[in-house]
Amino acid sequence: MRIVIAEDLYLLREGLVRLLSAHGFEIAAAVASAPELLEALVEQRPDVGIVDVRLPPTHTDDGLRAALLARAQVPGLPVLVLSQYVEQLYARELLADQAGGVGYLLKDRVFNDEAFTAAIRTVAAGGTVLDPEVVAKLLNRRSRDEPVARLTPREREVLALMAEGRSNVAIAQRLFIAEKSVSKHAAGIFDKLDLAPSDDDNRRVLAVLAYLDS
Amino acid sequence: MIFSIVLALTIGGIASVLAWARRGSPRPDSLRGRIRARGWGLLLLPVAMSAAVMAGGAHGLVPAELGLAVLAIVFAPKLAAKLVPFGVLSLAVFGIHLAKLHRDGSNLRVQYLFVHAGRGAWIAPVILAEAAALFVVALWLLLRTDAPGAGLLRPLAARWLDRRRGISLIDSLFLIPVVGLVMQLLGPGDWFGIQAINGLDAGLIDLTLAGAALVLIFRSRAWAATLAAAGLLVLGAYGWLIAVFWPVLGFAYGFSDLRNPAPSPLWTDAVEGSLLLALGLWLAPRVMRHHLGEPLDSPDPELAARAQQLTKRVQALTQTRRDAVDTAAAELRRIERDLHDGAQARLVALGISLQAAERLFPTNPDAALALVAEAKESSSQALTELRDLVRGIYPPVLADRGLADAIRALALDVPLPVELDIDLPAPVDLPVASAVYFSVAEALANITKHAGARSVRIQLSQSLLAGPGGLLRAQVTDDGCGGADPTHGTGLAGVERRLAAFDGILAVSSPPGGPTIVVIEVPCALSSLKTSTS
Repeated sequence: MRIVIAEDLYLLREGLVRLLSAHGFEIAAAVASAPELLEALVEQRPDVGIVDVRLPPTHTDDGLRAALLARAQVPGLPVLVLSQYVEQLYARELLADQAGGVGYLLKDRVFNDEAFTAAIRTVAAGGTVLDPEVVAKLLNRRSRDEPVARLTPREREVLALMAEGRSNVAIAQRLFIAEKSVSKHAAGIFDKLDLAPSDDDNRRVLAVLAYLDS
Repeated sequence: MIFSIVLALTIGGIASVLAWARRGSPRPDSLRGRIRARGWGLLLLPVAMSAAVMAGGAHGLVPAELGLAVLAIVFAPKLAAKLVPFGVLSLAVFGIHLAKLHRDGSNLRVQYLFVHAGRGAWIAPVILAEAAALFVVALWLLLRTDAPGAGLLRPLAARWLDRRRGISLIDSLFLIPVVGLVMQLLGPGDWFGIQAINGLDAGLIDLTLAGAALVLIFRSRAWAATLAAAGLLVLGAYGWLIAVFWPVLGFAYGFSDLRNPAPSPLWTDAVEGSLLLALGLWLAPRVMRHHLGEPLDSPDPELAARAQQLTKRVQALTQTRRDAVDTAAAELRRIERDLHDGAQARLVALGISLQAAERLFPTNPDAALALVAEAKESSSQALTELRDLVRGIYPPVLADRGLADAIRALALDVPLPVELDIDLPAPVDLPVASAVYFSVAEALANITKHAGARSVRIQLSQSLLAGPGGLLRAQVTDDGCGGADPTHGTGLAGVERRLAAFDGILAVSSPPGGPTIVVIEVPCALSSLKTSTS
């Protein structure tokens, strides 16, 4: 699996390269600024781009904007955005094109290399991985949006775990229920959110998006 | 006499020609430069004439004075140009004096500007008219050149022309020299004359006038006022002394012309003395107050209002600056404590865990691994604490995206449906944006904690028309239970102090039963306007 890494701090960039190489990922490019990142993403077409939100030249959200720009040019280009802080606002912007293949995690999630590499694979496969902190804030909200308000507490739990990028198997393990019941809850969620039958991954993205928009 | 006039004309003419020939290329934009360039040294002619004529028969003095004038024109043209208005003025004064001498029956035969002052009843009015014209010219020159005193006369003239602003007490004192001239012209005494020059009152008036002129030159208005007040008091007292002691002593010089056998000068002296004394008594305490540091009573209401405004502003600035310093100090103290007890402590623990793990690896790898996992957990927690701390100092979204998106992000984190209405046509300066952000955050936190609201509405707008930098307005409305009191608790009071540093205000309307409306208004220097001028 080919990966482009964008991180301006040398130590972190090298750390990521070492970590991912050790897990058998191929590093197509490791860059330190937003313009380099955009070029690498569009030309290298990696399986996943791992992007720090804050990059030169302006040291604000250049990385995020470069990632969005790349996805505008190459629809669905998988991007996993890392940051020292997570914002629902940025999560919404990443998910807004409904193309999937998006991840948004706190940088310290890298410490758990298994979960981190799993997240990379989910994003590469077109799935959605949101940081538990974003999801926790989502759960905290009282929705005024009718469809999301109609979800049962259990369905909301399942939707939250979906947003974190977990598969049905992982959700079933986490909630101590059968995988079949997870599928049933998922179907209930798609139904209540008026998501027409299509491939499962896309519907999961749309469900998360509906959740974010609520 | 004829000889001295011819001499004056000749030397004055030569001097003027010399001055004209010396015109160089001075700064063309300054009046002084233009005077030099156009050889306006010709105007020194009247100075020379007046010097010659007033010197009377002292022929020896005239060439000396004229020589000095020539030297001044040739070697100190700037000074000569400055002296021109005074030369014209002295000529005008002499004309007035001459007219009065003729009115009183003198037959002094001198050449004035266009008439030869000899016999004839028609001469006095003609000389007077010429003197008045010269007087006007002298004043005009004083106002137009930067002669000594012009700096004071110019604003004075501007003020007199603009009647609406009124004339202040100090300003009106500058009328004293003019009043002196009028008295000289119309009064019965002979103050500038040889007889009266021996009189104490005339001497005092001359001294007062000379003092006022000096003060004008050295531009100390306060001392001019003091001098005027003192002179008036002494003159007033002197008038009364004459009235009382004239019959006893049998001689003295009064305000009336005492050379003539006046039947009874006593009552006029007493009246004039009373008037002068009253004026001096009215003036003295005011002048003294000024010297003691109190402002003079100014009849300019605009100025007084402005002074009051400025005083209030200074008080407000002193208060808000103290608050801002206190807040910043408390904030730093909090950050220091948070770092000390949080991230720093975690990092120490992390180091200890790693150190122990390092020692255990050869003998007990399992225990070492457990310690490494512990260290990882420690670093994760340190990061979480640092993240929270950073959010409290300066929210990252605000740094990345500015106020509008920062408020949007804030709204997303509120566990309530939030309606947003944001209209910011221009970017807001970061310090102002930060203050408004934390104010809105505090309002939202209060709503979440206390209001029991079902929904929130946040409006953020910017009025570019109000004030030079525009006005930033944020309004947070909730449909909760109301009854919020900004004087209770520290949250909103802190917000108020924080906004005050930017001249911002916080208003809370929260009747029991709701709704609660929190309005924040801050005048903001707009970044775009700043950068567009740089």
